[in-house]
Amino acid sequence: MTLAVDSVSLVLGDGDQQVTALNKVSLTVEAGVLCAVMGPSGAGKSSLLAVCGGLLPPTSGRIAIEGNDLTALGERDRARLRRERIGFIFQQSNLVAALTAMDQLLLMAHINGRKPDGAHRERAEQLLEEVGLAHRASHRPDQMSGGERQRVGIARALMTEPSLLLVDEPTSMLDHSRGGEVVELLARQTREHAVATLMVTHDQAMLSWADQVAEIEDGFLGPPSTPHLKGGPPDET
Amino acid sequence: MFLALRDLVFARGRFLLMAVVIVMMALMMVLLTGLSSGLVDRNISGIRALPITHLAFEYDDKPTWSNSMVERAMWEGWADRPGVMTSTQLGNTMFNARTSKDEPVTLALWGMEPGSFIDPGADAGQAIGGDPYGVVVSRMLVAENDVEIGDTIVLDRVLTELKVVGLLDAHNNIAHTPIVYAPFRLWAEASYGPPGGPPEGESLPDILYDFATVVALQLEETTDIAAVDEELFTVALDKPMSFVASTGYKAERDSVRINQGFLLVIATLIIGAFFSIWTIQRTQEIGLIKALGASTGYLVRDALGQVSLLLAVAVTCGVGIGYGLGDLIVERTDIPYVIDIRAMLISGALVIGGGLVGAVLAVRRIARIDPIIALGQLR
Repeated sequence: MTLAVDSVSLVLGDGDQQVTALNKVSLTVEAGVLCAVMGPSGAGKSSLLAVCGGLLPPTSGRIAIEGNDLTALGERDRARLRRERIGFIFQQSNLVAALTAMDQLLLMAHINGRKPDGAHRERAEQLLEEVGLAHRASHRPDQMSGGERQRVGIARALMTEPSLLLVDEPTSMLDHSRGGEVVELLARQTREHAVATLMVTHDQAMLSWADQVAEIEDGFLGPPSTPHLKGGPPDET
Repeated sequence: MFLALRDLVFARGRFLLMAVVIVMMALMMVLLTGLSSGLVDRNISGIRALPITHLAFEYDDKPTWSNSMVERAMWEGWADRPGVMTSTQLGNTMFNARTSKDEPVTLALWGMEPGSFIDPGADAGQAIGGDPYGVVVSRMLVAENDVEIGDTIVLDRVLTELKVVGLLDAHNNIAHTPIVYAPFRLWAEASYGPPGGPPEGESLPDILYDFATVVALQLEETTDIAAVDEELFTVALDKPMSFVASTGYKAERDSVRINQGFLLVIATLIIGAFFSIWTIQRTQEIGLIKALGASTGYLVRDALGQVSLLLAVAVTCGVGIGYGLGDLIVERTDIPYVIDIRAMLISGALVIGGGLVGAVLAVRRIARIDPIIALGQLR
């Protein structure tokens, strides 16, 4: 099991300002599975991503990534786990303005303390090819469309061969058709690279590509369902 | 430096502006140093030119060139002591005077034994000693008052007539006043004798020649200076300390240091402010890179690498331009300016050091940026 969230609660703020962002949330995501968590603004979607990615320590409960207890790690080790085992895909793609598409990917090698070599370059080229952007390798974010930027974000997240992908509202800045393309790509990459993908979204139209869907509201996560069995788009495999 | 180098290229407009500011500050530091060293040099260049290790003044808590008076027993006493390689007396008196062209000038008359180790000789004409009234003048009188060989300079009040027999190329000054080198006897007569010199056919009493201002010394390192000083009632200062005994030297040097200090503080603040704003602008991006797993150390090293590169390039340009301009000033003008490579390198290093301090203060901010800001909803 790649991601196991066990009875996790997260209380933000203090005193009168306290908000329970997550309330005894449990969830598992296996390798090769795209799990979508759906809910309105403020339901706790980003909080769930933050605790799964080690950006916020949960108030109670346990999170394990490939069996490693994330909640037992210090900040430095959580950062290491993030850069080695977790790929993040953010809203609006969140690319570094000064870097070309190729450099966005090579940056991941750098963050890991390695000078990018031929193998890194080869992997980056292959990933850009997979997301259909081989011809945009030398373009910077300001020279790319929103959809292209999001695809670079996906390639970047896969650069370190992570076991878990955490995806934050990947389509919020895209129109319907481009959003669909991005999520379809994400679903395909999840299977091809055998990663566990946890995607939060409020866009119902994107759920059809998910293998597993759960709804979150006011910090409570409902039981997962399988949209494909409910008559979603035909399974491409 | 992976990110740093790409940022430098991407935001080249902003970094170029900052680089120009740093170049200007380094240039100002170098020019200020050169000009102030030049000014200070015009104060003490005559002392600096003396081939001495020490000068013995009359005993005083704060010995000065203007107040010191040494007696024959002192300079003869110094000459006999072990560790004294050579010594001779030197007289210094300030005079107002008039040149052959009837121009008023102020000069420092220095009396010394012709041919002694402190006699500078002459770059044109003859050295002192041939003519009892013959003197050698240093460059400022030649450059500013058109004094030539064969001219006569008349000292006010005592009416002594000095015959210019030789010229020096160097600006040898004391307290910003050009030095005129004279035989010791002529100096003593002008300083202590009656106006107009001795009456025709008479000579002045010998006691007149028993006083001077300082004793010029070349000492071995082993010399027991304190013991000789105590015995002879003198204060021997090493060469740099003897500069301080020249009027105004300390005040000038201190004011220059205050200027340099301020410039350094300004450089630190400007560079600190620039990188603070730059870091604030990058907050979102730094949060993102941290969320991707970068450590604070990685980001701080990258940012400091960027600052170091910017500083190194800009300061090198500033110091280089300063060197070129200084060379032009020295070659083409008579502005007091000294090209001192060591001082220039120190100035450059200080700007780099100040800039790094400012940058370190600015990039501390990186440590406080929370990667959580990369997640949209929780921003």
